[in-house]
Amino acid sequence: MANEKKLFRETRTYPVVFMLIITVIFIGILATFYQLSFEKVQQYREMQLKKMVMNVFELPTQNIENDFAKYVTIQEMEDILYYESRSDSILLGYCFPISGSGLWGTIHALLAVTPDFEKIINIEIVDQNETPGLGGRITENWFKDQFKGKILINNNILNSFVLIPENETAKDNEINQITGATASSKALVDMIYKDIKKYNLKLRADL
Amino acid sequence: MKKKEIFITSAFTQNSVWRQILGICSALAVTNLMLNSLVMGLGVIFTLALSGFTISLIREYIPKRIRMMVQTLIIASYVIIVDLFLKAYYPEISKSLGPYVGLIITNCIIMGRAEAFAGKNSPIDSLIDGVGAGIGYTFVLLIIAFVRELFGFGSLFGILILGDWWTNWSIMVMAPSAFFMLAILIWIINTPRQRRG
Repeated sequence: MANEKKLFRETRTYPVVFMLIITVIFIGILATFYQLSFEKVQQYREMQLKKMVMNVFELPTQNIENDFAKYVTIQEMEDILYYESRSDSILLGYCFPISGSGLWGTIHALLAVTPDFEKIINIEIVDQNETPGLGGRITENWFKDQFKGKILINNNILNSFVLIPENETAKDNEINQITGATASSKALVDMIYKDIKKYNLKLRADL
Repeated sequence: MKKKEIFITSAFTQNSVWRQILGICSALAVTNLMLNSLVMGLGVIFTLALSGFTISLIREYIPKRIRMMVQTLIIASYVIIVDLFLKAYYPEISKSLGPYVGLIITNCIIMGRAEAFAGKNSPIDSLIDGVGAGIGYTFVLLIIAFVRELFGFGSLFGILILGDWWTNWSIMVMAPSAFFMLAILIWIINTPRQRRG
């Protein structure tokens, strides 16, 4: 027996067989781990998204599962999912996924607007790869909060926000940009303009 | 070699980062926050210890010519387990570490220990060696992250330490500062050694 085994180990097929067996074993282990964690990862992603949608609509986030079903309906438009919030069947606002190129990669955000597109309700950053501490600060509240209640459409003209230095007082159509991260601040302002134009054209066409 | 000796050697006297200059890429990438560095370190300790153990366990059966392939497969499997675990249970940390967890696979320390130690020694010794090398690596990461987070964000582990009077140094947040910090660290540690001999 021992002699035969030694002979097989010297053949050319041995490395192939060995690699095959070890690959099957380890892939098997990984597949099991993946299955075990899959549901949890999915759950978390869904929960995060719901929480963000609730946030941009400025709805309560204590009981997300219930409140989301109560206030928010998911709509689809040309493969893009967007959200409507209603209270007693009165439309309170839309929430759209918006995106644009940042300095290092694509920035994804959710933007909620009033049903007439006149005002921004709130904005939430979903995903970004900007420089931590510089462009990454677009996720900070002081920066996002500036967009709250800003006028988007005035006399059928879509507002484009003007960026001003961080410590100056901003007027109605102005946004304080992040020092050292002009590109990231600009990216956000640009993507709001571009995507709101797109959604408005499809839903209302009053521009 | 005694177990304790193996540990001390791989963690400090032959520290992978400052003696062998291995695993530099990730040491530069994740060290702007203490928490990220700690989690990265734990991931590397886990991978190093278990891949060393596994490789040592089957070292007699691994055909010499394809040993690198086998090592990579085993290392990659453990790294993916770490990645899945973080994604499922610590999604926030997983998000802030981004692609760097997956890149533990290419961390030269792990392949280095597999080649230099696990392929020739018993499973338990390899496990200890892996933990040692991992702790040595984590130790370096934490030192660099300590300075970078303190000066760059004014905080440690996300807790604000320096007050309003402190102006954050943007450079500490970005990659160049990691180069400076790592070079200074290697300089400080290796100078007395060179004087001696």
